[in-house]
Amino acid sequence: MFPSSLVVVLTGLGFGLLALAAFAWGWRRGQYRDLSAQARVIFDARDMRLDRPWETAQQRAERAREFGALEPAPPGEWGEGRSSDEGSAR
Amino acid sequence: MTVTRGRPLRGEPEELDIRLRADASSRRPVLLAFGSAIVWLLIGSAFGDVASLKMHLPDWANDAAWLTFGRIRPAHLNTMIYGWASLAMLGVSLWMIPRLVHTELRFGRLAEVGIVLWNIGLVLGIAGLLSGRSDGLEWLEMRRTFADPWFVVGGALVGLTLLVTLMLREVGHLYVSVWYIMASYLWFPVIFIVGNWPTWRGVESAATNWFYAHNALGLWLTAINLGAAYYFIPKVLGRPIHSYQLSLLGFWALAFFYALNGMHHLIGGPVPEWMITTSIVASVLMVIPVLAVAVNHHMTMIGRFGALRYSPTLRFVVLGAIAYTAVSLQGMLTALREVNRITHFTQWTIAHSHVGVYAFVTFVLFGSMYYIMPRLVRREWPSARLIRWHFWLVLSGIAIYVISLTIVGVMQGLALLDPQTPFRRAVEVTIPGLWVRSFAGLLLTAGHLVFATHYWMMTRGTRRAPESPPFHEVRPILYAPAGEIVEEVAR
Repeated sequence: MFPSSLVVVLTGLGFGLLALAAFAWGWRRGQYRDLSAQARVIFDARDMRLDRPWETAQQRAERAREFGALEPAPPGEWGEGRSSDEGSAR
Repeated sequence: MTVTRGRPLRGEPEELDIRLRADASSRRPVLLAFGSAIVWLLIGSAFGDVASLKMHLPDWANDAAWLTFGRIRPAHLNTMIYGWASLAMLGVSLWMIPRLVHTELRFGRLAEVGIVLWNIGLVLGIAGLLSGRSDGLEWLEMRRTFADPWFVVGGALVGLTLLVTLMLREVGHLYVSVWYIMASYLWFPVIFIVGNWPTWRGVESAATNWFYAHNALGLWLTAINLGAAYYFIPKVLGRPIHSYQLSLLGFWALAFFYALNGMHHLIGGPVPEWMITTSIVASVLMVIPVLAVAVNHHMTMIGRFGALRYSPTLRFVVLGAIAYTAVSLQGMLTALREVNRITHFTQWTIAHSHVGVYAFVTFVLFGSMYYIMPRLVRREWPSARLIRWHFWLVLSGIAIYVISLTIVGVMQGLALLDPQTPFRRAVEVTIPGLWVRSFAGLLLTAGHLVFATHYWMMTRGTRRAPESPPFHEVRPILYAPAGEIVEEVAR
């Protein structure tokens, strides 16, 4: 077995051990508790209340029921460009 | 202008303020990273087009040594990986982490210095390659003596900035994107130093070379871009990721299984059989994180695919995520000996790597930049038409590219395996596909030129101001004396 095999294997195992340590740290710090709530941490209230034109009437109604009256999304909210000179919404 | 609001939600002004402060803190380094990434994207595209043309016009433009295939091709690869993709990823990381941990970016100037050092390393490294100074290892061609140290120091400064920001976070929970991004900043320096270690010789060098090259894809490029996809898809949809449990399972499976994948590039080579077999097993185990990501993204999107018509961010990121699934499943198949004996040393591999680095990584980066830039320069993208041109040029370009090279790759592999077929024939069958690839490359370059022009218009603000106030100028909510939220004022 040439020396680099050992290095590759040890480095690979090192990665695994580091990952294990990070996993254990996360476990102790409660990173895996109440996961459905944690999935929502990227949103703020305004995100959820923006009217999304691609949603169905039912999806909009559900959104309004859960988060309050919907607001129109400001221009450019979804990364789109100005389209007033084209007579098109997108 | 006063806008009547719906039912106010508790804590909303603070949330908006946190987001605005986070964006403002990362503005300068992110713009620096994005701007330089796009310059390298254009340079790398030109290198790629020249290299592609030389595959079927071998006598063209050979007068100058720096234009020969052996120099232009590694210059293309290194420019795209370390110039375009890595710098854009530094920018995306610097923007996302402060947002995700609800604090401002700390030591932003340090990150700017890091990005400048990274660019210096690139200039020296690419100039070295064009002048014939190469380390001769795939993905590691830039010289370890005068180019690589700049990447180590520059990347460390950016990583340090992010680490300090993470440690001073205002939230307890780390969203799955934070795990992906921060882990990649710990993995990358290790694999880069191991790959560049100067004492490896011969086959040892090949083993550590592919340990690096495959992990650069899986633990650097993939990790940050999956982190971005896990942020932008739910964020635009306004819908949490379908299964947060599955997203964590995907991350940890990647962390545990990926590092041993690289040896499958050496199937048939003079390396111990157990190393190859271990790598094949690890490659097949990747089905766990790949399917976890694929199922999760698909189930999040389901019922909302119409959003792709409205959001360029979502269009690019979702297509990138689909490409991630495709390239990973293709990679698993290619790691099997029975498939590899046909595809190894053929154009199939080039098509495969472009599904990964372009259709996945570059598409996610384009989508991320479409979302991030308006929030940094405080104006909308100037033209919906230019976004459409960009999208269709690069989508058609990469589709033609991959299909043509995959087909001729298989033909080439079968011809190489047939002892009755002369070697010359195995080369000739690829030529139609190589012409088509060059055409596809020109489409990609045209798309990059459109994007670069649009980016320049965006940063220079050459278009008129919008008549209605854009979203980023919506002001926080005013409070009545008793603390009750009463209205929102738009400037």
